[in-house]
Amino acid sequence: MRWFRGHYGAGPIHLLAVLATFAVAAYALSRALDLTGNPDRIVLWLGGSIVAHDLILFPVYALLGAIAAGAIVGSKPRSRLRIAVLNHLRVPALLSGLLLLVWFPLVADKGQRSFMRVSGLSKDVYFGRWLLITAVLFGGSALLFALRLRRLTR
Amino acid sequence: MRLPAIGPFREDFWRSPLRGPWLASLLSSALLPLVAVCAVTGFVSHWAYQPHLGGNAVFGGSAPGNGFDVYGLDWPTSPAWLYVATQGLHVVSGLAAIPVLLAKLWAVIPKLFENPPVRSAAHALERLSLVLLVGGSLFVFSTGVINIQVWYPFGFSFVPAHYYGAIVMLAALCLHVGLKLPVMSAAFRQRGVMRPLREDLQHTRPEAGLPGVVTSAPHAPAAPTLTRRALLGGVGAASAGLAVMTTGQVVGRPLAELALLAPRGRGRGDAPNDFPINKTFSAANIPREKVGPDWRLLLHVADERRAVLTREELLAMDHVTAELPIACVEGWSTTQTWTGVRLADLARLAGVPDPTAVEVRSMQPRGGLRSATLGRGQVTHPEGMLALRVNGADLSLDHGYPARVIVPALPGVHCTKWVGKMVFA
Repeated sequence: MRWFRGHYGAGPIHLLAVLATFAVAAYALSRALDLTGNPDRIVLWLGGSIVAHDLILFPVYALLGAIAAGAIVGSKPRSRLRIAVLNHLRVPALLSGLLLLVWFPLVADKGQRSFMRVSGLSKDVYFGRWLLITAVLFGGSALLFALRLRRLTR
Repeated sequence: MRLPAIGPFREDFWRSPLRGPWLASLLSSALLPLVAVCAVTGFVSHWAYQPHLGGNAVFGGSAPGNGFDVYGLDWPTSPAWLYVATQGLHVVSGLAAIPVLLAKLWAVIPKLFENPPVRSAAHALERLSLVLLVGGSLFVFSTGVINIQVWYPFGFSFVPAHYYGAIVMLAALCLHVGLKLPVMSAAFRQRGVMRPLREDLQHTRPEAGLPGVVTSAPHAPAAPTLTRRALLGGVGAASAGLAVMTTGQVVGRPLAELALLAPRGRGRGDAPNDFPINKTFSAANIPREKVGPDWRLLLHVADERRAVLTREELLAMDHVTAELPIACVEGWSTTQTWTGVRLADLARLAGVPDPTAVEVRSMQPRGGLRSATLGRGQVTHPEGMLALRVNGADLSLDHGYPARVIVPALPGVHCTKWVGKMVFA
């Protein structure tokens, strides 16, 4: 047992569990690839989604956040007021960005033709609605900030 | 083997004081039930299509070796809102999980760049399983979210890919939960489950990490600008916001007014046929003359024609009227008052007093889901009908004129529109 741990890095149950997982996953993946005309597109989407999140979406929002934090509070945040400004900007920005991410096909009018064919409706109302929600988020955040201002500057 | 300590591979690159095993554990405790509900209701939806009957299977079918493709049980007809509930839960829990999933990935992303990248064979295999977990999750969530917005950029068939992608994700998730439960319980023992939520900004300290475990706790933490309470409150608010906005298209009015960004939450006026459509008449490519006065309903048993009915003859038969929801796999529904001829009465006309199944065929010439097979429970249900009217008016062309199927709890795409032929068994 000690020999096994020393060479593998964990107990034998770990190895069995990992192998069982890979077996089920490989079976499911092979079914998915068998059942579609374009298996390479599935592999592309699977790998692409990791790249899209880990190497594009995350770095972009993290960098924007770091730039905003650097500009507003600096590297040693001491002022409660400045921290509040930062938070009252980044919370609505993140919520608005999340809505854009989730409802991107609606907001950006993607799949307009298929949507019209199935529902008889157009997608062109959603961009305006997203803008409106974004305005309400930032406006609401500004209002809350104004209400907190007296307490923060005391 | 260590990588050169540059950029994100440097230990002091990751500076947020909020990251660490406690935050990851708390987010996981919220994510796990949401994913569990979403997964269970997803498999239930697959069952609701009754892939074991006739040509219902969207993929695979009941041939040997098709594994998880077919379950073999008939779908119930009661309660009538069953499919509204299960598919609504599927879409709402899936959307609500997205902010939590993104926050969880944010909390653990330093571990993507851990250095050395591989510490042992066990560690290498575990990291490989995380590729399946993260890739599988992003795959399943992104395809689902895009599909409910009726955009098909994938280039592969959605249903089998979403279905088997979920199985890849769930397999990796089971392993992940099993391997990480000790870390979660250690993190909760160290800091308490809820205690960090009570800290104000002055008392927000970086997580210390756990002895003997590589965690995402920072080595050179910056000063906090946000409390853990605010971070998790923001994630919860985003999650609840997505859920509420989507619930509007699941249950319809009055919550539909909140479904501002839900693809199917839009009201269409107050006339009898002003409710959402899933496939317009023009999209079905049925020639106009086929739905005119020459339309006939053909009742068959296998290849043998047993009866031919005009719409006037159908209107002259005994009718049933019922207020029933019709729910789409995309997670929206609409409840209307339907009037039509009982499927059981049509079976008797075809000379089948005790029907076990009926295959209903649309006049739509091409495309998927233009026929559906219903089981015994559906064809004999007293409110299972071939609807001719809705809310006191004739069905509109977009809603299936001259006749469509309406059966309690049946998935919307199996409520075949523009019916031309029914084959009883």
